[in-house]
Amino acid sequence: MADTAIRPARPVAQPTGRARKPRRRTARLVPLFYTLPALLFYVAFVIAPWLHSLWISFWNWNGIGTATWAGLDNYRTVFTDPALRSSIGHAFGFIVFYSVIPICFGLVLAALVAAIPWKAMPFIRTVLFLPQILPLVAVGGVWKLFFSDDGPFNDILTAVGLGDWSRAWLGDFTWAYPAVGIVGTWVSTGLCFLLLLSGIGKIDPALYEAARVEGCGRVREFWYVTVPGLRREIAVAATVTVIAALASFDVVYVMTAGGPGESTMVPGVAIYRLTFTAGQVGTACALATVLSVLTCAVMYGLNRLTREKP
Amino acid sequence: MKIAKLTAGAAVAALALSACAPGSSQDKPATKPGGTVQTGVPEGNVELDLIATPESGAAMKEIIPAFEAKYPNVKVKYVDTSYEDYNKSLNLALASDTSPDIALLNVVGTSVKDGLVLNLQPYAEAYGWESAYPTGQLNQWRVAADGTTLGSGDLYAAPASFSQVGLYYNKAKLAKLGVEAPTTFEELEASLAKAKEAGETPLQLGNKEGHAAFPIQLIGQSTDGPASYAKWAFGEKGSSFDTAGNQKGAQALLDWGTKGYYSKDANGIDLQGAVDKFVNGDGVFFVDGSWDSKKIGDGLKADAGFMPFPGAKATAIGTSVAYAISARSENQQAAAAFLDFLRTPEAAKASFAQGFMPSDASTVTAEPGTLSADLVAAWNKVNADDGLIGFNNNATATMNDTLVAETQKLIGGKQDPAGFIKAVQDDWTKTHG
Repeated sequence: MADTAIRPARPVAQPTGRARKPRRRTARLVPLFYTLPALLFYVAFVIAPWLHSLWISFWNWNGIGTATWAGLDNYRTVFTDPALRSSIGHAFGFIVFYSVIPICFGLVLAALVAAIPWKAMPFIRTVLFLPQILPLVAVGGVWKLFFSDDGPFNDILTAVGLGDWSRAWLGDFTWAYPAVGIVGTWVSTGLCFLLLLSGIGKIDPALYEAARVEGCGRVREFWYVTVPGLRREIAVAATVTVIAALASFDVVYVMTAGGPGESTMVPGVAIYRLTFTAGQVGTACALATVLSVLTCAVMYGLNRLTREKP
Repeated sequence: MKIAKLTAGAAVAALALSACAPGSSQDKPATKPGGTVQTGVPEGNVELDLIATPESGAAMKEIIPAFEAKYPNVKVKYVDTSYEDYNKSLNLALASDTSPDIALLNVVGTSVKDGLVLNLQPYAEAYGWESAYPTGQLNQWRVAADGTTLGSGDLYAAPASFSQVGLYYNKAKLAKLGVEAPTTFEELEASLAKAKEAGETPLQLGNKEGHAAFPIQLIGQSTDGPASYAKWAFGEKGSSFDTAGNQKGAQALLDWGTKGYYSKDANGIDLQGAVDKFVNGDGVFFVDGSWDSKKIGDGLKADAGFMPFPGAKATAIGTSVAYAISARSENQQAAAAFLDFLRTPEAAKASFAQGFMPSDASTVTAEPGTLSADLVAAWNKVNADDGLIGFNNNATATMNDTLVAETQKLIGGKQDPAGFIKAVQDDWTKTHG
């Protein structure tokens, strides 16, 4: 997160004579040396590959042969190709499933759990958090079976007399997208719940007391004490889950591979496909660059929104 | 500010490092064949690395020991990778320093253009492959000088065995309906209608991976005639997907869906799911390749039947399980001897046991009345009419993805036949102009 790197205020250096200047400079550099190992790794494994990918995005290249200069053509393709453009839209739509719904669920669940002393607390926590520790490929595989034409979901529908509704959910143009999205909700809810629950513990009990004295019910307590008190935790949950939504790949790839048509295509799957089957590495890098810039922009906006007012 | 400067410095350094066209530093081995080549294997111990996919390479378990028995100084090391992963990593493997000697080639793709595979023309002439195989069987692996147009030019891969896509049918169900196996498109449609009336699933279809492209192509090529239809799949300049046959095929698929001839869930069923359903008696007809013949034959036993798709000429969609030699291989002569061994009767028998057709069907025998016998009969008919055409899915690197998405839209009612044909042709034009 952007505001974790805190730079201490530094007094303006007073020029007090030539002889002392070099020593001052060395002194100022010392803290930097401590960050050097981390910085080296960060540059080598994050910054350099990102720049390299940015560079490739200006070329027509199949990954093996000789590249030819493309200028901004790849970016033009990203914004004009309907399939690629819609994939970006789908990723943003996933924010509802990966962030908005899980945070709402998590808030309610955490408030309920915190208000009532449950004996089975460790068990509830484990069950809710379980999806988070499973490999997403396995998760996708299981949900794919669940939604298949002869899968359990249709069996349930038939059992309750809604047999007419049964279908191959992942092959349906209307339902495939929400069916894939709901997996995101299932995965993210546990994480949001745990984050928010730990946050509730930190809220000053005096605030609840004050609210009760003022005659607030449980619902208003929730709205006016719990939710504002969880601002930081909500920010963390939103940051983590929004990134997961925008970078989604595994669940979609396993469940639908972007189909039917392009109705569940997301940038992650499109980038993979452009690189490995289409041999359009330049276009893939352009899409990746656009996605990373958009993600940074969303993170910036999120930070502004949730920053505590001074 | 220091951090900013440092980052900027690193950025400049990183850019300087990469400030050349990606891929340009690649040292490419010469692809020009060096004059005359020798047949047979060289003296001394040779180790050949061979890579393939589990399905196509299944017969290697028998072929390799037979080859090693014939040439005791040659050892062949076989590694297989799943189909999806194989196609994605093949070019990288061929370009690497640890390139295999022999590789299964599912599509030509950019392997010839990028100089990854050896030009086999000198070996084809030395071993006499051109007279040993029917012309149509080698054409799929001929690449013109531009590196992308197929069907003419030098040979880059040698076929080991072939697959054919045709029409499976359930003999018991057909007998119950009181109809003969259809021989024309009209008869097929009449049988489908009759099956629907009788409450059967007329056509088993799974289109999660785009296999509805098969019936469209089969209707298309049997209507347009194999000779002209093949040009499009080969990428010949000026060809178009907008033919009477393809229009008929796309329209038929749409109409069959409206009439309920196949499941409304087809877009959510994958190929193996459809095979399982067909084997369990769900479906009178089923369009699929010979690679599933073992599963279908074992499941339906005597009720399993197979024929070329009904039409004026017997046509099939098919390609060969073909092997290429890496341009980086140091044992090209021994590798070529292995490719030549693939057309021996013992290799043909091993392939046929796995459901793949040999180049010359007379080298294998099948028990009469079995699915194997149907496969051989269909194969002979198709070859007699020169009706074997490559998969439309291989016309460009992205064509498979395009056909998957567009057939799904067609079935899902999101696209009309004209729009389907245009989308497919647009993809083709991007590569072949």
